[in-house]
Amino acid sequence: MTVAVRLAGFWGTVPRPLKIVVSRLFMLVPQLFGVMMVTFLLVRLLPGDPALLLLGNMATPETIAAFRERLGLDLPVWDQFLRYVWSALHGDLGTSIFTSQPVVSDLLERAPATLELITYAMILTILIGVTLAIVSVVRPGGAVDIGSRIYGLAAGAIPDFWIGLLLIYFFFYMLGWAAAPFGRIDTFVAPPPVVTGFYTIDSLIAGNPQAFFSSVGRLVLPVLTLAIVNAGALMKMTKTVFADVYRSDFIRHARASGLPERTIRRIALRNCLPPIITLVGFMVGFLLGAAVLVETIFSWGGLGQYAVQAVVNSDYPALQGFVLVAAAFILVVYTVVDILYELADPRIRV
Amino acid sequence: MRATFTRYLSRHPGAVIGLVLLALQIIAILFAPWLTSYSPVEADPLASLEPPSLAHWFGTDVSGMDIYARVIYATRINLLISLTAVAVAFVIGVPVGLLIGFYRGWLSSLVMRMFDFIQSFPIFVLGMALVSVMGQEIWNVSIVLAVLFIPMFARVIRAEVLSLRERPFVAAARCSGATDFSIMFRHILPNALTPAIVQISISVGLAILLTAGLSFVGAGVRMPTPEWGLMVSSGAQQMILGVWWVSLFPGLAIVIAVLSFALIGDMAKDLSDPTMRDRR
Repeated sequence: MTVAVRLAGFWGTVPRPLKIVVSRLFMLVPQLFGVMMVTFLLVRLLPGDPALLLLGNMATPETIAAFRERLGLDLPVWDQFLRYVWSALHGDLGTSIFTSQPVVSDLLERAPATLELITYAMILTILIGVTLAIVSVVRPGGAVDIGSRIYGLAAGAIPDFWIGLLLIYFFFYMLGWAAAPFGRIDTFVAPPPVVTGFYTIDSLIAGNPQAFFSSVGRLVLPVLTLAIVNAGALMKMTKTVFADVYRSDFIRHARASGLPERTIRRIALRNCLPPIITLVGFMVGFLLGAAVLVETIFSWGGLGQYAVQAVVNSDYPALQGFVLVAAAFILVVYTVVDILYELADPRIRV
Repeated sequence: MRATFTRYLSRHPGAVIGLVLLALQIIAILFAPWLTSYSPVEADPLASLEPPSLAHWFGTDVSGMDIYARVIYATRINLLISLTAVAVAFVIGVPVGLLIGFYRGWLSSLVMRMFDFIQSFPIFVLGMALVSVMGQEIWNVSIVLAVLFIPMFARVIRAEVLSLRERPFVAAARCSGATDFSIMFRHILPNALTPAIVQISISVGLAILLTAGLSFVGAGVRMPTPEWGLMVSSGAQQMILGVWWVSLFPGLAIVIAVLSFALIGDMAKDLSDPTMRDRR
């Protein structure tokens, strides 16, 4: 009792930002536990022997017996789950049937490619989406407003993999402006030494302009593909939020007080920040899903292409590992978004 | 009623376009065998990758199958998968949403947490994993999409029920001796359905895009089934070599299908909104 009271008293003295961070991180634990439950059940859904499925057709009876032992397939399901969590927490996600490498090292090797793609796509998506939203709210009925309405409708209906192919056809085959859609860097250019894993940043660190321009060139079409499809949704949602704020009483009051339009726009945007942060967090989830398709088209060699390979080859350890890492990544992003949201909106009580 | 509807259409060209595009799809579904003389699955190795011509309106693909015939026949498969998925999700999601909105206990919060959880996964990634684990069959794609969509319907209904259950008409029904069951299904449900109906058209569009995406990466239906995503995928390699017709036409079909449901969804939203009634 006294301990609880003391703890409560101590919690009261913790500064607000730290409080936000700690309480959100605390919620992450059960969520990650749930994610592992889903990926565990994913493979248990399969009809047949999990050992055989996880080892592939080439397995000998001895290795299967040993693997059954390790998974504890004769133990109760709950024990099996704990074993799975235990090994996953120790960085063991099994061995890929297709690459015969540990799934963890496969995923780590490919993660930077996907992260680089998603990061630039995110930046471009926000630039296009938020700019179009602001202009169409500030000038309703203008050319941008009408054009962006049509674009929003179309962007929601266009499959990303199809628009990627069309871009390749026009800009690579017809016009010859774009780089070839085969990977992250030209074959005759050596990739820069790994520092961050982002080719664009690593090549700058290494002082290698050739690698820099080559990797930027390769990024253009896949990033454009992702941005074209996703900026529409972000624009529509931002527009709703921004229009509400822009027509609210405090903005009318600011205008009546004679504040310049520029300042008013800045204030309105600042007040839209919390919902926009949430939207951007959701976009990361969308982009990760879309990256699976776009990476396949551009032979990107990232996590998405790895997942597709896993599906095509029935490589269940790899698929299970990818789903776990993708879901955990999204959870971490949502956590960061929640923290930023609460930091950006001082009215929220922790 | 009819007069107001025509007046609505005359002021909303988007709704007209949506209805016309939907009509095209219905025609393609019902009259496919009369619209083309080619079989959608018959390969003709001698006519591989022919560009669009009078014989083959949309050209032929790498194994010589007529793309026009395949695009037309695929309407059946794609809409069958998507509409089934949404119908199942609606039939399960609506009662679940009604129950967890009406009864608020630990079980309801547990179900809500589960929905939060399912929805926190990137939808395409989870769909891809589930279909490949269950086996790449048409029905499995439908089932997986239905599972992914149930939380969406349950959530919209629940939100409505939460506010409706506090209204006086519910108290009145209870005073006149109505059972919980009759209050839920006869009094609350009819008032809570509108947003779920709007959600149908959004979900059908999403289902069409997801189905096509899943087949595109090889986690959906298999060759030679005529399916739009699969057809775009079969032309992906040739696109780099300048063969545009294999992927272009099935992709356009996807855009038309999704667009029509989006436009009809907008129309449903307007027509069901009482504040819009005067402006119709």
